[in-house]
Amino acid sequence: MFTTNTEEIPGKTITRCFGVVSGSTVRAKHAGRDLMASLKNIFGGELKGYTELLCESRDEAIERMKSQAKQMGANAIVNVRFSTSSVAAGAAEIYVYGTAVAAE
Amino acid sequence: MKEAKFQGILPTHNDNVSHDHPLKEFTTLLLGAVGLILLAYWLLGFAVDGAVAHISPETEEQLFAKFDLPLADKLVDDPEDQARLQHLTDQLRPFVSVAYPVKVLIFKSSMANAFALPGGYMAISTEMLAKVKSENGLAFVIAHELAHFHNRDHLRGMGRGIVMTALAAAVTGPNSSLSRLLAPTSQFGQAQYSQARESLADQTAITALNGYYGHVGGVDEFFTQMIGMPEHPVLQPFASHPQLKRRIERLEQLRVKNGWQVKAVTPY
Amino acid sequence: MGDLIVFLVLISLGYGFGKWNEASHYKSIDRREKRLVYLPTTNSRKPLGENGTVQRAYLVSGSVVISVDYFKRILAGLRNLFGGSVRSYETLVDRARREAILRMKESCPKAKQIINLRVETSSIYKGRKNQIGSVEVLAYGTAIEYERG
Repeated sequence: MFTTNTEEIPGKTITRCFGVVSGSTVRAKHAGRDLMASLKNIFGGELKGYTELLCESRDEAIERMKSQAKQMGANAIVNVRFSTSSVAAGAAEIYVYGTAVAAE
Repeated sequence: MKEAKFQGILPTHNDNVSHDHPLKEFTTLLLGAVGLILLAYWLLGFAVDGAVAHISPETEEQLFAKFDLPLADKLVDDPEDQARLQHLTDQLRPFVSVAYPVKVLIFKSSMANAFALPGGYMAISTEMLAKVKSENGLAFVIAHELAHFHNRDHLRGMGRGIVMTALAAAVTGPNSSLSRLLAPTSQFGQAQYSQARESLADQTAITALNGYYGHVGGVDEFFTQMIGMPEHPVLQPFASHPQLKRRIERLEQLRVKNGWQVKAVTPY
Repeated sequence: MGDLIVFLVLISLGYGFGKWNEASHYKSIDRREKRLVYLPTTNSRKPLGENGTVQRAYLVSGSVVISVDYFKRILAGLRNLFGGSVRSYETLVDRARREAILRMKESCPKAKQIINLRVETSSIYKGRKNQIGSVEVLAYGTAIEYERG
């Protein structure tokens, strides 16, 4: 199952299209990461804890989208788009969506 | 994409949600949070004990000189009674190894109670004075409170009370009924701890009485008086004092173990 | 004591009504999705297939705001202590998305396909203390109608 964020897959032809598929996760940080973040608020710099957290969430969301596409019988997802939003205090929601296709 | 044929299919199962029961998650998380709070309280208790060890009576007097006395509005001004109690207290002090002065105050209350307060004050209620008939019984109560001073229990209790209030305020907010309930005195959270300290104070008191009077007659007078009062069996573990019967039994065991005598009591 | 009772009542109300709401909403979503599965929806820039000359192409959108119930909020608060996926919010967001996309499809009964689908999610707060949280999802795309014949 491969994913691209282009219209077409370079080097392949799309034979069938199954519609939009999506994957989403909502992840919360824990108190420990929060503490580090407050310290960083004084000193500045990359919040490695949060970066890791969002990275994991994105990977999981992509996995969910792929599994949904597989259920429909697709073997590729094109036009993948990401969207992040905060839906609760301290929790971020990652949403990935794309068009599931069968490509050869 | 123009050549692609569309095939409308719906996924068979929804992967974007978890299928665990939310109540199960709720119970697990709640138990985890409660466990964390209890752990924090237990660990901070050690810090309190450590801090209390470093507060000498002189420091304590200076620290609390500026504070308003609790029960200040209920104090009774009876110079004669106060002088007698103060005299008895001063006599008993050396037998409990309390070398610094402890000031006795009388407060009005319908419950028979006595408190050891930070700053070196001992407060005895009017009801207590009414209930206890003999000097020995009263001396036991005074010696018990003096023992708390010696063991720095009044500071420990206050310290733990502050920790408990701080934790409650951190979780539920400072204005919640829980925080307000816990604020004034150390409540059920630290009862088991207190029960051990209370037994220790009982032990010290009876030994002191034997030293002062030469016998242990009348020590359980207060308890036997109180035995008529109803006790709440379910909340007992959370009460800060062990059950009355158990206290009497323990005192009796100590008396037998040490071979102390029981003689006639001096009326008050 | 009063605070605790109020809290327990709110949580049970939140849990009970929330569960019922969610179940009935999901049923409705499943039903409508089955009905509208024939309508191709993609997020490509060009239409699928060659169905003839395009008669009309217009923007369509569907949006919904769904509120969080008390039980979900408390669960999310507890999760914030320990970290991990906030499962109570996953169903909320999932419902909102599917509902928004369905509303968009339902708003154009004559369309033959919808292209360039985009989905925007945002949360609506009341403020730090009194967090009446709700999730708003907007789904929009271009609907295409072909000439007959």
